[in-house]
Amino acid sequence: MSAVASPGRPGSFRQAAAILAKDLRIEVRGRHAAGTLLPFAATLLIAFGFAFGPGREVLERTAPGLLWMAVLFSAVMASRRAYQTETEDGALEGLLLAPIDKAAVFLGKAAAVTVELLALVVAVLVMVVALFDLSIGSPLPLVAAFALGVVGLAAVGSLFGVVAESARTREAVFPMLVLPLVTPVLIAGVRATDLAAAGRTSEAAQWLGLLLAFDVVFLSIGVLVFGYLMED
Amino acid sequence: MQRPASHVSAPPTTVAVDLVGVTRLFGTVPAVVRADLRVERGETVVLRGPNGAGKSTLLRIAATALSPTYGGGTVLGFDLLREREQIRARAELMTHSTRLYEDLTAAENLRLWCRLLGIGPEGIDAALDRVGMLEVAGERVRGFSQGMRQRVAIARVLLRAPELLLLDEPYTGLDSEARYAVDDLLRRAPSEGRTVVLATHHPAPQGLEHRTLHMDGGRIVREAP
Repeated sequence: MSAVASPGRPGSFRQAAAILAKDLRIEVRGRHAAGTLLPFAATLLIAFGFAFGPGREVLERTAPGLLWMAVLFSAVMASRRAYQTETEDGALEGLLLAPIDKAAVFLGKAAAVTVELLALVVAVLVMVVALFDLSIGSPLPLVAAFALGVVGLAAVGSLFGVVAESARTREAVFPMLVLPLVTPVLIAGVRATDLAAAGRTSEAAQWLGLLLAFDVVFLSIGVLVFGYLMED
Repeated sequence: MQRPASHVSAPPTTVAVDLVGVTRLFGTVPAVVRADLRVERGETVVLRGPNGAGKSTLLRIAATALSPTYGGGTVLGFDLLREREQIRARAELMTHSTRLYEDLTAAENLRLWCRLLGIGPEGIDAALDRVGMLEVAGERVRGFSQGMRQRVAIARVLLRAPELLLLDEPYTGLDSEARYAVDDLLRRAPSEGRTVVLATHHPAPQGLEHRTLHMDGGRIVREAP
């Protein structure tokens, strides 16, 4: 990807910023996150809250896992939505045929999904603290866990979203491609959240390292191969 | 790393499109069979033929939206297989899909392309005005008819000013105003130095100097004046 702008042609990061701004504007107008993702996450958490009963200890132990389950499924839905807007009237082909850096499209879309999911995480976290009485022992590792985890989910979702678009059964194909791949994010995210909530910062750092490595790997893969995945 | 495609000099050639022995298979089904297409710079060529004749596929190959299964050639002097980005920097494929974002306004759609391509936004109003869409520039595309969408897509073409314009059934589903906008785009193309390849069942605009090629069964079968 070329980060340096050539005369008259914006650099890749400016192109990515244009895609990010476009996706967020569409999201704000469509209210997909507020209208679909948030009610979905809230329903999931409330349903599990009732299933586990009022026992404080059980709720505290299961809260990190439930929180990440809500984030994971919301990430799948948000990533699919990000590509639905591209295929409504052939816009994705327009991006393919435009003389722009295709890696910028990937980074812009991944950044937009990241912003959406971070907003969702804040809302879901408030719900979990209120419903399950999750204590926030060390806020900084907790924030880092969600930030790194969400970037990883958005990177994988944006990478495979474009692959799924070419499949006839895209609604079924997309989760099948994404869910196995993001298992490390789920495991590391749950463990880091659990340890951060318990105030065990140094132990949480190991899992944060795994999340960071996952992000670097999938962002790099996306930058390198996204253009090829868009092609015929 | 990606080279800035538009800043690679185009090889000096008078030929805009030179496809040689192009075949495209979808699975085992041939859509285009050993087609040779040569279009001079500044020329307008109309592709005609029944549905399934291979017109759209041939246009999409020239636009680099599809790769040929066999064969190759050059577009604007650049190799069809190895220099796709250089071709994309200079060519535009227009189809009945307008590639607009429905939740953005007409002006926002054009501004997005200006930001992506590094084009100054000062030409947006003039482009929308030329296609009669300036009054609804601030309205979301979702509420537009197909004809209005196509006129916004034409405004995008005007902003980009491509050297080669590939139009695939641009009249499909259009109202009279949108048809006029397409005709106007075609009529002005020669004086603006633009090469046009048009696939359509409709008559070409009156007075437009052009060459007609007939396709059938994936082959270019004959040329008519």
